[in-house]
Amino acid sequence: MLRFLIRSFLCVLAATGLCAQQTEVVLSATSSAKLVLAMTSPKLSGVEAAAVGTEFTAVLKRDLDETGVIAMLQERLPADESPVKAWKEAGAQWLLNTRLSRAANGDLKLEATALDTAAEKGVFTRTYNANKIVPLRHLAHYLADDLVGRLTGEKGVASSRIVFVRQVSPGVKEIFQVDRDGAGLMQLTRHGSLTLSPTLASDGRLAYVTYKGGAPEIWGQRRKDGPHEKIYPTSGAGGMLSSPSWSPDGKRLAFVQGDRRGNSDVMVLDLAAGRARRLTDGTGINTEPSWNPNGTQLAFTSDREGGPQVFLMQDDGSNLRKLTSEGTYNASPTWSPNGAMVAYVSRFEGKFDLFIYKLGEGKAYQITTGVSTSESPAWSPDERRLVFTSNRFGSSQLFTTDLSGRQIVRLTELAACQSPRWLRGR
Amino acid sequence: MRYGLYLVPAAIVLTLGSLACKPPKTAEQIKAETQAAFNEGYQAFKDGKGRETNPYSVAKEAKENPHKTTGWFDGWDKAKADKAAADQAATEKAAADAKAAADAKDAADKAAAEAAARSAAEAEKAGAYKKAAEAALKTIHFDYDKSDIKEADRVSLQGISDFMKAYPAGKLEIEGHCDERGTNEYNLALGNKRAAAALAYLKTLGVDEARFTTISYGKEKPLCTEAKEGCWSQNRRGEFKLK
Repeated sequence: MLRFLIRSFLCVLAATGLCAQQTEVVLSATSSAKLVLAMTSPKLSGVEAAAVGTEFTAVLKRDLDETGVIAMLQERLPADESPVKAWKEAGAQWLLNTRLSRAANGDLKLEATALDTAAEKGVFTRTYNANKIVPLRHLAHYLADDLVGRLTGEKGVASSRIVFVRQVSPGVKEIFQVDRDGAGLMQLTRHGSLTLSPTLASDGRLAYVTYKGGAPEIWGQRRKDGPHEKIYPTSGAGGMLSSPSWSPDGKRLAFVQGDRRGNSDVMVLDLAAGRARRLTDGTGINTEPSWNPNGTQLAFTSDREGGPQVFLMQDDGSNLRKLTSEGTYNASPTWSPNGAMVAYVSRFEGKFDLFIYKLGEGKAYQITTGVSTSESPAWSPDERRLVFTSNRFGSSQLFTTDLSGRQIVRLTELAACQSPRWLRGR
Repeated sequence: MRYGLYLVPAAIVLTLGSLACKPPKTAEQIKAETQAAFNEGYQAFKDGKGRETNPYSVAKEAKENPHKTTGWFDGWDKAKADKAAADQAATEKAAADAKAAADAKDAADKAAAEAAARSAAEAEKAGAYKKAAEAALKTIHFDYDKSDIKEADRVSLQGISDFMKAYPAGKLEIEGHCDERGTNEYNLALGNKRAAAALAYLKTLGVDEARFTTISYGKEKPLCTEAKEGCWSQNRRGEFKLK
């Protein structure tokens, strides 16, 4: 009996060891510019302590750690009831106190206050009242977003979502979404076919390409929360269609149409008028259009000079200029939400790395390095991180990185994921 | 064992008892027997063989089956008797109909056999078409990031052209595929370019381009997924599918 117990204990130990090995992703998080924040244990009334530990405290800590502007104080923490001075001596600049209480009808109330330990005065006070169906982890996301907002002037993105394509079975791909912390997986399309290239308007409207009719068609939502319907072609065959991209105002849809001579061109469809206009000149490949934030210019990939390179143009096709010059394969440009940077991928020795081109400086910076490939970058709405796909653990999975490339975090353990997009709100 | 002995006589008693007591007749049975007796008498009467005496009024019968005796004289129910006759006629007619139907079925079978023979001939033709297609529609391959038709694939394309000329009603879809190196979107455009290159080459061989459709799957439908040249070169391909 004793031997059996020992054996099963060893098995469990081995299994947890394996899990730990697989989930360990955080590489490093070092930056002197971050605010050091310490958190006392939440005071609870009517809420289960175990649930709060996993669904609130841990989620909040991870959210704040990944903001890029806050560093959680992890070591040599004073006891919860210590005076503020003790927290200051431990290194904390802000001290966060929270109180969670559940009303008789099940509704949750979260009161959060943050103290500046140097000045010993409050810097943040906020109360959240949540319906009982709101998960605890969402409350943690809201609090993290408001703390970042208090610190930087722009709300955080802990309560944002990431939409991506995932292979369901060979030849069948569908569009899914997860919360920013990798929880809450949800399937958005059920076409039972190849469904690719999602794009999200700022109001959450989805558009994508699906092969369910045999040939590719662009489908999506014409109005907020509306049904998924065919958007293009309105009649007949459309040829090769790919890469839809909503304009920032959500009134136009850039996309790529390929003809029978092998050319692919960037087109812009005016949703209200139902007319599509060709922006590129019809020789070679032009694809992957990405709007600048005010909708006046597009970045795109073209092989007009041989290999694929990133170009910029006005939204009428004029003022064409080449952005990238180093390397033989530069593609997947995505304009940053504030318009100052363009992220793209560049191929080197058979694999891709992420780069950021700073338009003000006219210079490109490499973000990722390594033996594995990193593809499909998409900006976080606050421009502090990029979500991308990488095969560093075998199959193509979703990761996020800060702009230094030093803090790379695996978003989910789902395999065979591609084309992530990052959007505020849920 | 002590009480087991009692089981034997008990079993004997039960068996004999159940044999001795016939189950009583049900109302249905009685009714049917009465009607049958009446029908028999009525038929005899109609045939001119009517009898003065009740054949069932034999002392023993009458005693055991009083309903048969009564049936003879007050069970006259003309409607029921006519119905029985009609039923018989209907049965006969049904039999005749069945025979006719069987005959018709034989004829239909014969026709079907002929149709089957015809469609078999067609299927054979379609089979020949399929077989010719299978032999002719060979996958072609491309170099990395290229869409030029390779020297080695010209024979395959000539075969496809010959096939299209031999079967003028045939239509094909040309699929362009890529390996995993490259972005999803760029590879969709590249696959389109590869399908278009195959289409252009077939056009130069004299096949009407209206008989082809092209589609690009980019890197979304790989044949294999290992990260090595042996697999990548298989995935950089053009496939031809009957439409």
